[in-house]
Amino acid sequence: MATTVAAPPFAGTKRKYESGLWSWLATTDHKRIGQLYLYTALTWFLVGGLEAAIIRTQLYGPNGRVVSAETYNQLFTMHGLSMIFLAIMPLSAAFFNFLIPLQIGARDVAFPRLNAFSYWVFLFGSLVLNASWLFHAAPNGGWFGYAPLSTPQFSPGLNMDFYVVGLQILGVSTLAAGFNFVTTVINMRAPGMHFMRMPVFTWAAFVTQFLIILSFPIITVAITFLLFDRFFGTNFYEISAGADPLLWQHLFWLFGHPEVYILVLPAFGLVSEVLPTFSRKPLFGYPVMVYSLILIAFLGFGVWAHHMFAVGMGPVADSIFGITTMLIAIPTGVKIFNWLGTMWGGSLRFTTACMFAIGLVGLFTIGGISGVMHSSPPSDLQQTDSYFIVAHFHYVLFGGSMMGLFAGIYYYFPKMTGRLMSETLGKWHFWLTFIGMNLTFFPMHFAGLDGMPRRIWSYDNNQGWNLDNHLSTIGAYILVVATAIFVVNLLRSRKSGQRAGNDPWGAPTIEWSIPSPPPEYNFARIPTVTSRYPMWDAKAPHLTSGVPHSKEGEKEITVSMAGKPTGHISTPSDVEMNAEDVHPSAESLGIHMPTPTIKPMVAAFALTIPFIGLMWHKSLPVILLGAVFFAVTLYAWLLTPVEPEH
Amino acid sequence: MTGYHRARRLLLAALTPVFVLGLAACSDVPNTIFGAHSEFGHEIDSLTYRLLILGGLVFVLVEGLLIFVLIKFRARPGNPEPKQTHGNTTLEVTWTLIPAVILAFIAVPTIKTIFKTQAPAPANALQVEVIGHQWWWEFRYPQYQVVTANELYLPVGRTINFHLKTNDVIHSFWIPQLGGKRDLVSNRTNYLWFTPDSSYAWNGFCAEYCGASHSNMRFKVFTVSPQQFEAYIAHQKTGPAFAAAGAPVPGADTSKKGAASPAGQVAAAAPTTPAPAAEGADGIWPRDRVPKWLIPETPTPAGLTISTVNGDPARGAQLFKTGACIGCHTIQGVSPGVIGPNLTHVGSRYTIAGGLYPNDMKHLALWIKDAPAMKPGSIMPAMGKGLPHAMGAYDDQQIADIAAYLSSLK
Repeated sequence: MATTVAAPPFAGTKRKYESGLWSWLATTDHKRIGQLYLYTALTWFLVGGLEAAIIRTQLYGPNGRVVSAETYNQLFTMHGLSMIFLAIMPLSAAFFNFLIPLQIGARDVAFPRLNAFSYWVFLFGSLVLNASWLFHAAPNGGWFGYAPLSTPQFSPGLNMDFYVVGLQILGVSTLAAGFNFVTTVINMRAPGMHFMRMPVFTWAAFVTQFLIILSFPIITVAITFLLFDRFFGTNFYEISAGADPLLWQHLFWLFGHPEVYILVLPAFGLVSEVLPTFSRKPLFGYPVMVYSLILIAFLGFGVWAHHMFAVGMGPVADSIFGITTMLIAIPTGVKIFNWLGTMWGGSLRFTTACMFAIGLVGLFTIGGISGVMHSSPPSDLQQTDSYFIVAHFHYVLFGGSMMGLFAGIYYYFPKMTGRLMSETLGKWHFWLTFIGMNLTFFPMHFAGLDGMPRRIWSYDNNQGWNLDNHLSTIGAYILVVATAIFVVNLLRSRKSGQRAGNDPWGAPTIEWSIPSPPPEYNFARIPTVTSRYPMWDAKAPHLTSGVPHSKEGEKEITVSMAGKPTGHISTPSDVEMNAEDVHPSAESLGIHMPTPTIKPMVAAFALTIPFIGLMWHKSLPVILLGAVFFAVTLYAWLLTPVEPEH
Repeated sequence: MTGYHRARRLLLAALTPVFVLGLAACSDVPNTIFGAHSEFGHEIDSLTYRLLILGGLVFVLVEGLLIFVLIKFRARPGNPEPKQTHGNTTLEVTWTLIPAVILAFIAVPTIKTIFKTQAPAPANALQVEVIGHQWWWEFRYPQYQVVTANELYLPVGRTINFHLKTNDVIHSFWIPQLGGKRDLVSNRTNYLWFTPDSSYAWNGFCAEYCGASHSNMRFKVFTVSPQQFEAYIAHQKTGPAFAAAGAPVPGADTSKKGAASPAGQVAAAAPTTPAPAAEGADGIWPRDRVPKWLIPETPTPAGLTISTVNGDPARGAQLFKTGACIGCHTIQGVSPGVIGPNLTHVGSRYTIAGGLYPNDMKHLALWIKDAPAMKPGSIMPAMGKGLPHAMGAYDDQQIADIAAYLSSLK
């Protein structure tokens, strides 16, 4: 079936939001907030990448002296923090925001203003964390911030203050968003959108929010202890007062391991959207894919101590955590096989999005295999804290999360902007990323097995690590080139990419039924969903013959189209026509959208002030001023009417 | 059929660089975790080999299948819509069970090895206390009252039970060629034991990030014959080889054995040129058997120089005893400081500064002159005259004298 990417000139541009800076500051539209997340996160991705490039330059040869040891320690700490908290998590958040309401057939998230608040808190938190560079005092205790190295006794400077304060602020953002999305998915699904019909990305996002809600309070507690140790002289981690530093490690990894799944499950979700579309087949084993997501998330809370096999927990704990870690490989393996099953017998179109999705399947597998290698505690004693681990988690986070997120960006960019990204540049981006990624991270396996410890500023000649490091650095530079191509592609395509139309890929889910970019109200009439693949039901029913449908409405598929409030579509041509439709305003359709307000942004700003006061010599006036400012803003926010007054 | 052939060619093409890298990695890798030299290392090795083989199998299977799918099922012009499948319970149960079976083959030997390697050490084991400091290693032999730093001598064929402690933050004790690592955790004592099975020299590292000079917290290990180990311990128990004139050395051990030590006599008679002890008499690993990768090649900081390396050990001894050095360093019978490494036999070590520099006059002098420049974060202050934050005010000649004194402490 011809799913044309062809787009006749898009004549009508009546589809317009208000534009201008103010409209972005005051927006509560989940699609705009999603884009804010996207571009902010991509900016931090570039910063984190720059940090990585400096790290690799320093390690190119033995006894490198490009940066000082102190700067190096700040760089690797900030590289980890940037990529985890400021790049991958908010990139996922960009998709949660943009996609969840579109995929479940809702007009927005449950709490649009809280959603705006989450974004602004994230932005201010990321700025506070990176402001540390201006003081030459970026966090230097590793992203894992192990006590007692992070306590005032061993880290008296501002460095770890920024860590504590920055992560605390970012945690507020993540938790607020988590509750928001859980509420959205539970309450705002369109009629007929049963849980077992939800697109798998929404499932992955839903499961991820539970991971966030259950794990972020733990890191909040751990960091609050550290905050009190650092600012108010308590002794939670103060070893001279008899503290046990393993308290921090247990709390940190009880958060930190679920965090790994917070980083990778959304990417799994995106790939589960991309592969069926480009295979022209429904996802293989949808229920099992959903159950394995839930099982991974559940088991993810029972494996944290595998980060601690060297700390001397004793044989019983080592055995238990070794076994639970092995178990988690089973649902993960099932996902890999089900993706292969999806592609098996399909008709694969190698678009850039599809190639990145396949990249995840191939590369995450390598990270999974090395993961099983260190699930065996005795074997892990030779691997942990060596470069083998660095290789492993970069295959998981770059080969897994980033590949999946790139797939998602190429796939959903047309829905966000109405324009396609260049496939030519996209292919260059993919191949250079694929080659650069493997050249950077594969030799690290060998460096690690040859005894190279992690987090070292420099290494000596004659240790057998020179070749591995040369290759890694060359690979990292290839990644820099690849990323530059991606940025050019993104910026150019925003302005002058080919018009996409509603459904450029011939995709099965309902977000493709509405115009690209969607009107602010998303769906002119909330659709009624009768199967997992409403768009294929409409356009290519033979593709969904095997999947379960509603008993009634099996013949007539009711996906309501944005431009046609009354429209029941039943033929493909309707959909194609709809792409060129100019859609009416919310008012003319009688849809009430929330009023834009800047108060969530002001509240987010106010929230950061007490934290800044804390770092600024514990200035009580600043802290109190910030707290009062926050309370007043919150009050004003609550009094702002939800809809325009009539 | 061509699909199959292309798949195989592609797979080979993909795996070739892996093998080439692997081979490159096999040559000249002094710290490889493979082919370990203790029973602990062998246990880990056999598990790791098993993991590599099973992991390699899964890798070839999954990636091979993926490449096959990509070639076989790519869209071609005029292709009909694919035949639809949306799941297959038998297949899905199968690929849930196969990994479970593979994991069982890993889990059983894993648990056995955990309990075997973490059992209490044999009662007759040599006890060695390892104490981590930012950023150097203190080694104590409580059964012999011997204290040393950064270079560790172990007897072949005898089980060594390490008591792992730290003076400050968390460190991790790792000798890749002798087995796995174990952390040194504040306010705790961890244990690790193994029995070296061959005599050689090994590199050790701190494997847990511990602050500014984490990368510069290295150590050296020499596994020696039991006889040589006895000689080493006997020599370490003696006082410093150099006894400055007119300074009677207190301590029963020192007066008894130090006087009998040939090195001590020679040093006392001709302090500027202490004759080396007879080969093996002091138990020190012979220089001609030191592998080249054991001696650090760390460059010294640009701009840090010393005008002379010809010092007088007698003057150096006097400077040491009357200067700030004694506040931090122990030299048996001379000074009691415990903040820095024990220097009683520092002249017999191959490296200084936590394995960061070779132990020669130039590096020793530069280290004394400006330790913080030589090693980021070093708690030892600069001693050279006119340097920022210098604790001492020694000129280059005085520094060379102190270095000469320390070098003579064989």
